Amino acid sequence: MTGLAIITDPATFATVLRVMTPLLIAALGILISDRAGVFNLGMEGMMLTGALAGVLVSAWTGSAWLGLSAAIVAGGLIGALMAFAVNGLGANLIIAGIAVNLAASSGTTLGLFFATGDKGMSGALRSGVMPSLDLPFVRDIPGIGPLVSGHNVLTYGALLAVPLISLMMARTAFGLRIRAVGVDPKAAATVGISVKLIQLQALVLSGMLGGMAGAYLSMGYVSWFAQDMTAGRGFIAIAIEVMGMGTAWGTLAATIVIAIAETLAITMQTFGLPNELMQMIPYVVPIVILTIWTARGRARPAGR
Amino acid sequence: MNRALLAGLVRLAITLAVIAAVILAVLIPFALPHDQPGAVVAAFLLGPLSSVRHLGNVAEYATPIAFTGLAATVVFRSGLFNLGIESGVFLGGLAATAAALLLPSFGPFTPLVAIIVGAVVGSISCVIPGELRLRWDAPEMVTSLVLNFAILYAGVFFLNYYLRDPAAGSLMSYRIPADARLDRLLSGTRLNSGAIVALAACLTVGIWLYFTRSGLNLRIVGQGPAFAAHLGLPSRRIIMQAQLVGGLIAGMAGAIQVLGLYPRFSWTQLPGLGWTGIIIAILARENPFYVVPAALFLGYLQVGGDFLARDIGIPSEVVGLVTAAIMLAVTASAIFQHPAVLRLIRRIRRVEAAQ
Repeated sequence: MTGLAIITDPATFATVLRVMTPLLIAALGILISDRAGVFNLGMEGMMLTGALAGVLVSAWTGSAWLGLSAAIVAGGLIGALMAFAVNGLGANLIIAGIAVNLAASSGTTLGLFFATGDKGMSGALRSGVMPSLDLPFVRDIPGIGPLVSGHNVLTYGALLAVPLISLMMARTAFGLRIRAVGVDPKAAATVGISVKLIQLQALVLSGMLGGMAGAYLSMGYVSWFAQDMTAGRGFIAIAIEVMGMGTAWGTLAATIVIAIAETLAITMQTFGLPNELMQMIPYVVPIVILTIWTARGRARPAGR
Repeated sequence: MNRALLAGLVRLAITLAVIAAVILAVLIPFALPHDQPGAVVAAFLLGPLSSVRHLGNVAEYATPIAFTGLAATVVFRSGLFNLGIESGVFLGGLAATAAALLLPSFGPFTPLVAIIVGAVVGSISCVIPGELRLRWDAPEMVTSLVLNFAILYAGVFFLNYYLRDPAAGSLMSYRIPADARLDRLLSGTRLNSGAIVALAACLTVGIWLYFTRSGLNLRIVGQGPAFAAHLGLPSRRIIMQAQLVGGLIAGMAGAIQVLGLYPRFSWTQLPGLGWTGIIIAILARENPFYVVPAALFLGYLQVGGDFLARDIGIPSEVVGLVTAAIMLAVTASAIFQHPAVLRLIRRIRRVEAAQ
C-alpha cells in the first residue's frame, strides 16, 4: 500500500477519529477546570475510574448506556472530592491532582480485583460497548457519506461538545462566572460570585467529561478494562489543552494535530519503521509546538 | 528547651496523628468485612517490624525513593515544577545497564562507572524541560509530563535494538555482568550498598542546601525570585544547576535500582518511582534531612502492603490509596494552619519567652 493510499483511505480517517475522541473529551474537561482556576491534573485518574465504572456497571446491568452514566457520575464524584480537598481542606491543587491519579491507579486495580478476582484485565466480564451511529441520509451521500457516518456515538458527542462548551464559556452567565473566577477570584467574590461553588461545579463538570473519556476507552476503543489502560492519555490531554490556548476550538485544532500524529505513528509501522520511535511522535509534537508558541509570545511581549 | 524546637515538635505530633488517622480510615473499610479485622490492621502495621529481614525489606524499598525524593526536593526548591524525574529514573537505569553491557570491565570500579553514566544520561530528562522554560518560557510542568513518555519510548527502542537478549522470552536486556552488580547487605533481602549511597546523598544535599552559600542562593531563588533578582543573583544559572543536580540524582536512582536489584533491565513502562519521589518531597517538607525518614515510612507502608497481600489476600495496591490520602492530609492547610493549632504554637512560644 503506498503512502498516498493510506492518507486517502477511509480507514485512516476513522482511526484519526477513534484516537481523537478520548483526547478531545478529556482536554475539554481540563479546559473547563483551567478556566475556573483549578487546573485538573487528576484527569488521568478520572479517565481510569470512568473506564472501570463503565465496564463494571454495563456488565452488571447489561446496558452500555447505564455503564456510560456510571462512568460520568464516578468522574464527577472524583471532581467533587478534588474540589473538597482543595477548597475544603486547603490542600495544594497540583498535589490533589497527583493524589487523584495515584488513588485511581490503585483503586481501579482493587475495584477490578474485588469485582472479578483478577487484577489485570476484565476480559471475563460481558461488558457493553457504546453503539456506532449510522447517520440517516448522510450515509448515502457519495464520497463523504462513508467518511462521516458510522462512527461511535461518543465520537459525535465529543465533536458536538466543542461548539456547546465554546458557547457555554462565551455566552452564558455560568461561563462568564467560570472565567471571572479563573481570572481574578477576589474580584469575582466582591461581586457576589461564590468562588468555591463555581470551582466545585467546574471540577465536577471536568470529572464528568473525564469519566466519559474513560468510558470511551473501555467501551468503544476496546471492549474491556485493563490495569492503567489510559496509558498517559490524561497527560496528553493536558498538553492539548495548553496548546489550545484555553478555547474549545483551539483545543479541537490541537487534538486533530495530535490525533493525526498518532495515526501516522500507527500506520507508518506497516512500512517497517521502528514501532517505538513512531510512538514518540504524539509526545514530541506538543513539546515542539508549545515551545515555538511561547518563544513567539516572548518575542512579542504584548501577548494575551 | 528551645521554643522553636518545641513548636516544631507540636507540628510533628500533629503530622503523625493525622497520618495514623488516615491509615486507619483507609484500612478499616477493607478490614471490617474480614473475619478478624484486628488481624488485618496488625498485619499491615506490625508485619514490617516483625523481623530484621522485614526491616531490611523496608530499607530496600526506601532506597530508590529516597533518591527520587531528594531529586524532587532539589528541583522544587528552585521554584520549577519539573516532573522529569520520572523518566530520569528510567533513563538512568537503562544507561547504567548499557554501560555495564557495552563498556569494558573496570574491575571494582565497574558499578561506579555505570552509575555515573546512568546519572549523566538520566539528567537529560530534567535539564530539557528546565532549558525550554528558561530559554523560551515553555511551561515546564506540561513539557516534562509529555517528555517522560517520549523518553520512555526512545528508551524502549534502544533496549529493543541494542540491548535485547533474543534468547529471553520477553523484551529484556542481556544479563548484567556480576562485577557491575551492587553488593547485597542482608541475606534474604535485596538490600544493597545503594542504601548507604542514598543516606550519604541526602546528608550531602542537606548540608549543601542549608550550610553553604550556593545552597542558600538556591533557596532564595526558589522562594523569592524577585528578591533574588534584587540581590543580583544569577537566577537562571542557579535554577539550571538545580535541574541538573535533580536530574543526576534521578538518574542515579534508576542506575542503583537496576544494578542493585535486577539481573536484567526489563522496564517497558515508566517505573513510577519519580511520582513517589514527589510524595516523599512533600512529606519531607522539601527538606533533604527529612527525606530519609519519609522514604523509610513509605517503605514501611509498602512492606505492610506486601503482608496484606500475602497473609490476608488483599492486594497491596491498598498502599496507593493510603499514600494518596496521606498526601492530601499532610498538605491540608485546614489542619496545619487551623487557628487552634496556630494559637497553641503561639502560646508555647509565649510561655517560653516568659520564663
